[in-house]
Amino acid sequence: MSDFFEVFGLERRLAIDVAALQRRFYELSRRWHPDFHQAAAPAEQARALEESARVNAAYRALRDPLARVEYLIRLEEGRATREGAVVKPKAPPALLAEMFEIQEALEARGDSLDDGTRATLTVQRDALRARMAEAEAQIAGPLSRAWDAAAAADRPAALAALKDALATRAYLRTVIDDLANALGEGTEETHVANRRD
Amino acid sequence: MAYSEKVVDHYNNPRNVGSFTKDTPGVGTGLVGAPECGDVMKLQIKVNLETGVIEDARFKTFGCGSAIASSSLATEWLKGKTVDEAAKIKNTDIVNELKLPPVKIHCSVLAEDAIKAALADYKEKQAPQTAGAASQ
Repeated sequence: MSDFFEVFGLERRLAIDVAALQRRFYELSRRWHPDFHQAAAPAEQARALEESARVNAAYRALRDPLARVEYLIRLEEGRATREGAVVKPKAPPALLAEMFEIQEALEARGDSLDDGTRATLTVQRDALRARMAEAEAQIAGPLSRAWDAAAAADRPAALAALKDALATRAYLRTVIDDLANALGEGTEETHVANRRD
Repeated sequence: MAYSEKVVDHYNNPRNVGSFTKDTPGVGTGLVGAPECGDVMKLQIKVNLETGVIEDARFKTFGCGSAIASSSLATEWLKGKTVDEAAKIKNTDIVNELKLPPVKIHCSVLAEDAIKAALADYKEKQAPQTAGAASQ
């Protein structure tokens, strides 16, 4: 089966013209829209439904630069889900220790927060958000360009750098979510949904 | 997601939550994270320096029910084992015991990583003392 880049006739590269991708998505959506295949034989109707679903999934995976990186990693490692990474990404040990300490302190505060505590947590959350934005900019910018530019032999290293940066982002995001929860706010929009389930 | 009874039990009554002072002789500390979800787990062992047996273990996990249950179970299993025996605990043992579904296997991997990190930290702390004793 074709991969999501191939669905749109694209090479396996992280630099994508999103406007062109969207135009192609609309074209393919029209071509395979089940409404236009109602008169066709059942086998063709089924095919249209399947292609239509595939085009949608491919567009979701590729339109966002970070989702695109996550998809590329799965594709390169030949796995269908986030489980079973071949090489475990490494976030800096100092980051882990820092995130653990913030979580521990947060837990010790309990449920009722006074105004001073709220202010402190808000400052902490905003600082972490800024760091997460920086990590995301690195992933979508220089690290993505480095993968595109890498010769075949250098691609594993470029991919590993992307994975490490995504891991850093995941740790930051989790703590930001937990701080936001403690402050009684909604959490970041996340595709790591229902983490606590 | 439906949790197995054992996961629910460990989640509601986690065993050995807490921590040891990092610098205490015989204490090994492992701090690991799951980049899939951002969970962090700290697992510590306290080894009897005479016998090499793990006398006590503690954990603290900020994560989902499966991650908490995996580390809670790990501390139970660690107690009474020698350092070498402890190194043989595999994530698949935890998966089987807790009946973790495929999407939660990384939680058991995290617990195995934490055990390995705690053992490595313990051994690293012992190494200089051994070297010192040899030179005396």
